[in-house]
Amino acid sequence: MKVKGYLLLVAVLLMSLLLTGCGGGDKQEPAKQEGNQEKKPLKVALILPGKIDDVSFNQAMYEGVKELEKEYAGKIEVTYTEQVYEVANIEPALRDFASQGYDLIIGHGFQFMEPIIKVAGEFPNTKFALGTGFKTLPNTCVYDVKLEEGGYLMGTLAGLTTKTNKLGVVGGADVAEIYRGHEAYKHAAKLVNPNVQIQELYTGDWRDAAKAKEGAISMYDAGVDVVWHSGDGIGVGVVDAGKEKNKTVLGNVSDQNVLAPNNVLSGIAYNWTPVVKQIVDDVLNDNFTNRNDKFYWLTVANGGITVAPFHGLDNTVPAEVKAKMEEVKKGLAEGKIEMPKFEK
Amino acid sequence: MTEVLTQGFLISLLAGAIRTSVPILLTALGDIFTQRAGILNLGLEGIMLMGALGGFVGAYFTGSLWLGVLLAMLIGVLFSLIMAFLSVTVKANQVIAGTALTILGTGLSAYLYRSIFGVQKLPPQIEAFPAIKIPLLGDLPFWGPVLFEHNILVYLTLVLVFVTYFVMEKTTFGLSVRAVGEHPRAADAKGINVQLVRYICVMIGGALAGLGGAFLSIGFMNTFLDQMVAGRGFIAVAVVIFARWNPYRALGAALLFGGASALQLRLQAMGVPVPHQFLLAMPYILTILVLLSVSKKAQFPAAYTVPYSRAER
Repeated sequence: MKVKGYLLLVAVLLMSLLLTGCGGGDKQEPAKQEGNQEKKPLKVALILPGKIDDVSFNQAMYEGVKELEKEYAGKIEVTYTEQVYEVANIEPALRDFASQGYDLIIGHGFQFMEPIIKVAGEFPNTKFALGTGFKTLPNTCVYDVKLEEGGYLMGTLAGLTTKTNKLGVVGGADVAEIYRGHEAYKHAAKLVNPNVQIQELYTGDWRDAAKAKEGAISMYDAGVDVVWHSGDGIGVGVVDAGKEKNKTVLGNVSDQNVLAPNNVLSGIAYNWTPVVKQIVDDVLNDNFTNRNDKFYWLTVANGGITVAPFHGLDNTVPAEVKAKMEEVKKGLAEGKIEMPKFEK
Repeated sequence: MTEVLTQGFLISLLAGAIRTSVPILLTALGDIFTQRAGILNLGLEGIMLMGALGGFVGAYFTGSLWLGVLLAMLIGVLFSLIMAFLSVTVKANQVIAGTALTILGTGLSAYLYRSIFGVQKLPPQIEAFPAIKIPLLGDLPFWGPVLFEHNILVYLTLVLVFVTYFVMEKTTFGLSVRAVGEHPRAADAKGINVQLVRYICVMIGGALAGLGGAFLSIGFMNTFLDQMVAGRGFIAVAVVIFARWNPYRALGAALLFGGASALQLRLQAMGVPVPHQFLLAMPYILTILVLLSVSKKAQFPAAYTVPYSRAER
């Protein structure tokens, strides 16, 4: 009886592991090119720490890369794998793709930094791209989002549209780019509206939407009338709080207006394609390894950071606010807006 | 800091504490039956996730929140049967079985969600249970907005606290459950079907954990997200232990945790000069401290986590 019990347990455990892994199973078969091209397409592997439908960081990157694959049909081939979160799994995944002959391997997250530096040393002919971080080698680069530009835009909008002079911002984990975004939000809001008071909180994770919703409710209860969130699953909770309390929400990562058309005034939408395109172009043109600046930034200037449209709330936004937003966008795109360096 | 003492702040905090504690309390009430019968179900987290998904899927496709609730409880029961089978019938190690069930629920809910809804730009949504303001009582100056402006599931949970107490302490079934947890051999000799009682208790636990999960997806939130239960299943197990298997104390314990969670969010938002990492950890630290202090007093059911077999002595 005992033995049978343990066997069953092992079976259940195995099944659970199998199912946990299943989400990431669908690897794309590279499309066979018709009419032999002289140059083989660039093989790109995208390794994501989360899932392609996380409504956020991973999904935006996935869509950005997929978009480029369409545009560069025949020039690149993309394979992706999901939920490689643990550092222990990252190194084997990188080595696996590198030894399969992939030309460019993208690790979409800070935790990929050390493993990439290690594996890139072993595979000097393979190129690696790291999503946020600071260490580089000749055959690696870092790409990151200038979230301070997004935060600046949202802070401006929030500061100009608040009626109670109380604003809020809700974040997940307090990591570098999120911190920069929050600080710029507070900075910009105070510039356009010196009387503004700002509440800020972190939920400590990216998944607990209920906790984020409760946090946003507490802000609205305290008189806050505009809350910006810095993304992921928790953002869905903040939007829902705005809807329930009928107050204004500013979204992040993608245009979230459909979630609460009467409450999501605007938001920041990311488009990773320009950055991926630049990296791929550099690899294709043999310009990758000899680049001095190993950092690729998602910015307002290259169209990586955009402001979501006002949709049905368009007529609630005064013309001078719209004009100011355009001015800030232009200023950020031309690099004319000065802001402090937000570093912890 | 004067903000802390305003009435508005207290109303917001207490109402928030109640909302935050409900999914934990629901799961804990069911787990009182399970633990009292002598079974430690660490799979509650996974069952809650399956319930959260079941509730959302049911509400999304039928358009009825109550069918969502029903489906969540049904899935909770079915999922808990795995636990019952492993721990009662094949007498497996309950810690391992429960852990496996949590891993299974986490993976399976994410997998099913994607198979059903595909990869979408934004999550699909439903209209969640609305808040119901109870006539007269809801107009009370302070307690009205704190106690009487919640959705129906919150009131239902409070009723379940009394029901759980009544069933456990005042009915023959409750007596059988306690007997099975304390001394299965004696219960068996008295003609109580030990295995059946344990199966039923695990299933009650599963039904309420499913409901607790559904509270998150269709009661408080309006959508399903991977891992949205975020540890509440484990907190529920702790709540039951530090409530020493009493539903009223479980109510207090869940409110304590919910209150600490709601308070830390508000302290962060107000900008108290304490690192937010510490504030975030506060509810958990509190849970551990309370657990430590009461665990000496806690009289675990004598046959806790011990499988029963007529053949063995």
